[in-house]
Amino acid sequence: MYQFNFQPVFDSIDLLLNGAWLTVRLSLMAMAAGLVVSVLGAVGKTSGIRALRVLIDIYVEVIRNTPFLIQIFFIYFGLPAVGLSMSPDSAALLALVINVGAYGTEIIRSGIESIPRGQIEAGRALGLSPVQIFRHVVIRPALRNVYPSLTSQFIYLMLTSSVVSVISANDLASAGADLNARTFASFEIYLVLTIMYFLLALGFSTAFGMIRRVFFDYPAGR
Amino acid sequence: MTLNRRLFTTIAASALALGLAGATLAADLADIESAGTVKVGMLVDFPPFGLQDNSGNPDGYDADVAKALGEYLGMDTQIVPVTGPNRIPYLLSGQVDVLVASLGITEERAQKVDFSDPYAGISIAVYGDKGVDVSEAAGLDGQAIAVTRASTQDSGVTAVAPEGTQIQRFDDDATAVQALMSGQVKLIGASNIIMAQITQATGDRFDKKFDLSSQVQGIAVAPGSDALLDKVNAFVGQATEDGTLDGIHEKWLGEPLPDFVKTAK
Repeated sequence: MYQFNFQPVFDSIDLLLNGAWLTVRLSLMAMAAGLVVSVLGAVGKTSGIRALRVLIDIYVEVIRNTPFLIQIFFIYFGLPAVGLSMSPDSAALLALVINVGAYGTEIIRSGIESIPRGQIEAGRALGLSPVQIFRHVVIRPALRNVYPSLTSQFIYLMLTSSVVSVISANDLASAGADLNARTFASFEIYLVLTIMYFLLALGFSTAFGMIRRVFFDYPAGR
Repeated sequence: MTLNRRLFTTIAASALALGLAGATLAADLADIESAGTVKVGMLVDFPPFGLQDNSGNPDGYDADVAKALGEYLGMDTQIVPVTGPNRIPYLLSGQVDVLVASLGITEERAQKVDFSDPYAGISIAVYGDKGVDVSEAAGLDGQAIAVTRASTQDSGVTAVAPEGTQIQRFDDDATAVQALMSGQVKLIGASNIIMAQITQATGDRFDKKFDLSSQVQGIAVAPGSDALLDKVNAFVGQATEDGTLDGIHEKWLGEPLPDFVKTAK
């Protein structure tokens, strides 16, 4: 019978909490920046400008059809060759933003395309400015329509961020690996890590639920 | 196929058990001399010390040392591939006469086998860009240094590094080396083996900053094989003196036999 010994984990709980904190910060920043990239990408794709659409298509297809591990290696180990060198944490953030931006672009594009042309024409008929139309008639209902897929992509992003330990960013997974290397209490450490990631995901998901109620909880007449 | 493998495993296991349980067989120099062949056990999965060349023959630092030993003794060298766990049982059961198998000299092992003077060594040190001026652990303050997570160099660097050192831990040697070569870190904690590979790839971009620890390796014989051990020691002494070991070391590790090996006894 396996003897559980959580002492090494509790002794170094600070290490794990610091790691979790970086995971949370990385995820939040990547979500925020990724949302901006996604909206810009989606608007660009639906803008009708051919060159822009082709460019965004290339970005989306390249990112969605290559492994995240390779993308992060490319950014951290490849880019210094052309003089672009950054810290592991910055490289991790950049890789996450680029990655989630590609998936988000497609999700939000489908949201924008779900808005009936008639609604935009109705906006025009009401005398709304193009900016007002974009804000109230297009993007808000579009985000509302794709909110569940977008937020699950964001939670997936948080879980994916565990890969950044390969470039020595000190996230939660990395902290766990370091602790494991020191104590060899693998079962206990990864059990605690599993629970921590689960709680983080649950926390994000609860927060997304609250955001939805604040911003998107209005009756939609369709 | 399955049956064959099972049979093989059984035989191998029994052989190993016999080897472990049976009385230690001291190698008799006269017997070896009359056979005219010295049987040398070496690893073939530990490059650059022991490896297999493209046609599957044992090669590497240990192979060259083994051949030099055979020449010194005036005998043919028969290389017997062994593995890390079975190398000492092979020696103690008399299946090989000597081990040139990258066997690190430790007190624990010295109770089971007799070691010659060191013929090789692995050292852990801090290496880095020529431009970085670090000559002791205190100089690591404020520097980023790459190590392989949970490796000897990880514990070595972690033990001496001051508070302000950014130790960046990577999952394997290759990734840590990548971080150094791409310029993401200026320093790395690495073994002389890894460093030889880096130097081979990059020329003289990096140099050694300071040593962390070292481990010397000896040629091993079964206990009680004193006549043989004397011969082996005479060989190691002469090969160290006349530059034979330097030459072999240069060939496989890109530098002459390190001083810590020559001075260790």
